[in-house]
Amino acid sequence: MALSEPVLVKRIPTPPWGDPADRKYVGYDHFTATGGYAGLKKSLGMAPKAVVDVVKDAELRGRGGAGFPAGMKWSFLPPEDGGRRFLTVNADESEPGTFKDRLLLDFDPHLLLEGIAISMHACRLDTAYIYIRGEYHHQAKTLQKAIDEAYAHKIFGPDSILGLINNFWPQCYVHRGAGAYICGEETGLLESLEGKRGWPRIKPPFPAVAGAFARPTIINNVETLAMVGPIMERGAAWFKSMGKGRSEGVPPTAPASFGPKLFGVSGHVQRPGVYEEELGIKLSTLIDKYCGGMRPGSKFKAAIPGGISMGVLGPDQWDAELDFDIGKKYSCLGLGTAGVIVMDQHTDMVAVARNIARFFAHESCGQCTPCREGTGWMYKILSRIEAGGGTLDDLDLLLELSGSMGALPGTTICGLADGANWAVRTILNKFWAEFEARVSQRRSKVSLAAAGGR
Amino acid sequence: MAWIAKNSAGTQIERREQPYLTDELKAKFEAEVLPRYPTRLAATLPVLHELQHRYHYIPYQAIEEAAAFLGVAPAQVLDTASFYEEFWLEPKGKYLIMVCQSLSCELLGHGSLLEKIKSKLGIAPGQTTPDGRFTLMTAECLGSCGTAPCALVNETLYENISVDNFDRVLDSLQ
Repeated sequence: MALSEPVLVKRIPTPPWGDPADRKYVGYDHFTATGGYAGLKKSLGMAPKAVVDVVKDAELRGRGGAGFPAGMKWSFLPPEDGGRRFLTVNADESEPGTFKDRLLLDFDPHLLLEGIAISMHACRLDTAYIYIRGEYHHQAKTLQKAIDEAYAHKIFGPDSILGLINNFWPQCYVHRGAGAYICGEETGLLESLEGKRGWPRIKPPFPAVAGAFARPTIINNVETLAMVGPIMERGAAWFKSMGKGRSEGVPPTAPASFGPKLFGVSGHVQRPGVYEEELGIKLSTLIDKYCGGMRPGSKFKAAIPGGISMGVLGPDQWDAELDFDIGKKYSCLGLGTAGVIVMDQHTDMVAVARNIARFFAHESCGQCTPCREGTGWMYKILSRIEAGGGTLDDLDLLLELSGSMGALPGTTICGLADGANWAVRTILNKFWAEFEARVSQRRSKVSLAAAGGR
Repeated sequence: MAWIAKNSAGTQIERREQPYLTDELKAKFEAEVLPRYPTRLAATLPVLHELQHRYHYIPYQAIEEAAAFLGVAPAQVLDTASFYEEFWLEPKGKYLIMVCQSLSCELLGHGSLLEKIKSKLGIAPGQTTPDGRFTLMTAECLGSCGTAPCALVNETLYENISVDNFDRVLDSLQ
C-alpha cells in the first residue's frame, strides 16, 4: 500500500515526488493552472446540502487530532435563521511534534482557502476567521498574501463568486493568537477570538449551535479543509480508494480511516520532515522509506504517534499501522495529528516523560483545579525521579494522578489533562523497568493508605 | 504558566502625556480591524499585537487606552493581555530569543544550545542583558520539529541550529 500520487502536497515538492529544496510559494495563478479551485467551481454548481453529503460520504475525519468526521460536524448546524454563521479555521498548531499545517500555510495556502470557500458555501457561513498561532509570523504574512489574491479574484469579498451568504458578502480574515496552546482547543479558540482569555467552554452548547459570538460556528483544522477541495473535485469514491478503510471488528457505522494524511516526522531519523501517505502506513515504512531510516548508530526504541498528547509506541510496535484506530490496538490514545517523534536507544524515557509533563504544566490554562494542580505535580514528581530522588511510591502516585484528572475521568472541562495522562501513563507502562531502575526501592514509611488517604 | 496572576494591587502605573493609542492608530483600527468582528471586544488581540509591535511591549497606560477604545473595562483587557505569553507587559530586550525546549528539540540538543547562549550572554531564561539588547526565553514548541533544534529571534525562525552557527547569528545582531 502506497499513495500513487500526491494530493495535499501536489504543488509542494515532497519526496518521493519532488525535492523539498524546490519548494516555493504557490500563488493564485499557479494554483488555478494546476487544477486549483476546480473543486470550488464544481461545488458552486451544487446545492449546499449536496456538498455536505459528498463530504459525509467521503467519511473525511478531522485532521486536527480528534478525528471527528467533518461531514457530520457540518450537518450539526441548525437550519438557517437569517443571522450570521461563522467558520473558524484552527491553525493554532502548537502541540510538540506537529508541524504539518505549517507546510500547507507556507507553500500552498490557496488549497486551504479553497476548502474554506467550499465549506462556507456548503454550510452557509458568511465569515471565516483563520486562527493562526502567534509564533507563525511568516505563515500569517503568506496567508494574508494568498487571501489578498483570493479577494482580487472574487473568491471572497464584494461580488464574490459565492454570492451573498446570510446577506453578507463572504469574508476571510487572519486572526493571530498569542502563544497559548489551549487556544487550539476549539472552545478556547472561540473565547480567544472573542478577545478574551482562552478558557475552554463547558459543552453543550456545542459550537455548531452557539459558537463564536454565540452564533452557529464550524471549526475545522487546516489540513481537514485543505482536503475538501480535492474531495469535491474528484469525488468521495476516489477519496475512499485510499487509506486503511475500516479495521476488522469496527462496526460499519463507526468512523474509519480513509484518504491520505500528512505525517510530520521528527526526532532521531535521517531525514525528518512532512510526508504524505495513506492512512494505515506502517511506522517502519514511514521511517525507512521516507525518512531514510534511523540515524547512523541509532536503533528504534519508541515513537510518539501524533503529537505528545497521544502517548507512546514501544520498541515492539515498530510495525504499528498508523491509522485512526491505533489507540485500541497499540495502547495509546490515538493518531492525533500524526506528528511522529521517533526516539532511539539512547533516549532517557524518564526525561521524555518529564519534558512532556512540563509542556502540559506550562500550557494548562488554570481553569480546572485537577489539571492546573495535577499537571504541575506530575512535572515535579517526574523531575524528582529524573534527579534521582524518586521512590517506588512516586510511580504509583503518577499512575493514580494520571487516572484522576481530565475530561475522560470527567474532572475537567477540556482534554488537555488527558493528553498529559496518556503520555505519562503509556510511557510508564511501556518502560516500567526503566523507571523502576531510577527510583529507590524504598517505599515511604507512612503510606497514604495508613494515613487514610486511599 | 499563563494563569499566574500578575501584580496589580499597588502597581504604580507609569504615565506619559502623549497617548500610546494615537489618533492615527485609532483610525487605522476603525477602518481595518473593527469591521471584521461583530463585537469591539474581539479586536483586543489585534489591537494588543499592534501596540506591542509599535512599542515592543504593552505598557499599562496603553491597556487603559485600549480598553477605553474598545468600550470595555481596563481589567478586561488586562485579563486578556496577561493570559497570553506573547504579550509583554514589561519592557524586553531589542532581540527576544525564544529557544524551543519541547521534545523534538530536546532530543536533538536544545540543552547544549541553551547553555551556550546562557554563558555567552551571561543571562538565564527570563532575563535581559544589562545593555537591553537581548532577552532570553525558553519556549514550548515553535512548530518546527522537523528542523530541530530551533529558536525564534523576534519574528525570524532559525532552524537546524548548531551551537556554532547560532553563535554567529548572535554576533550579527546589534
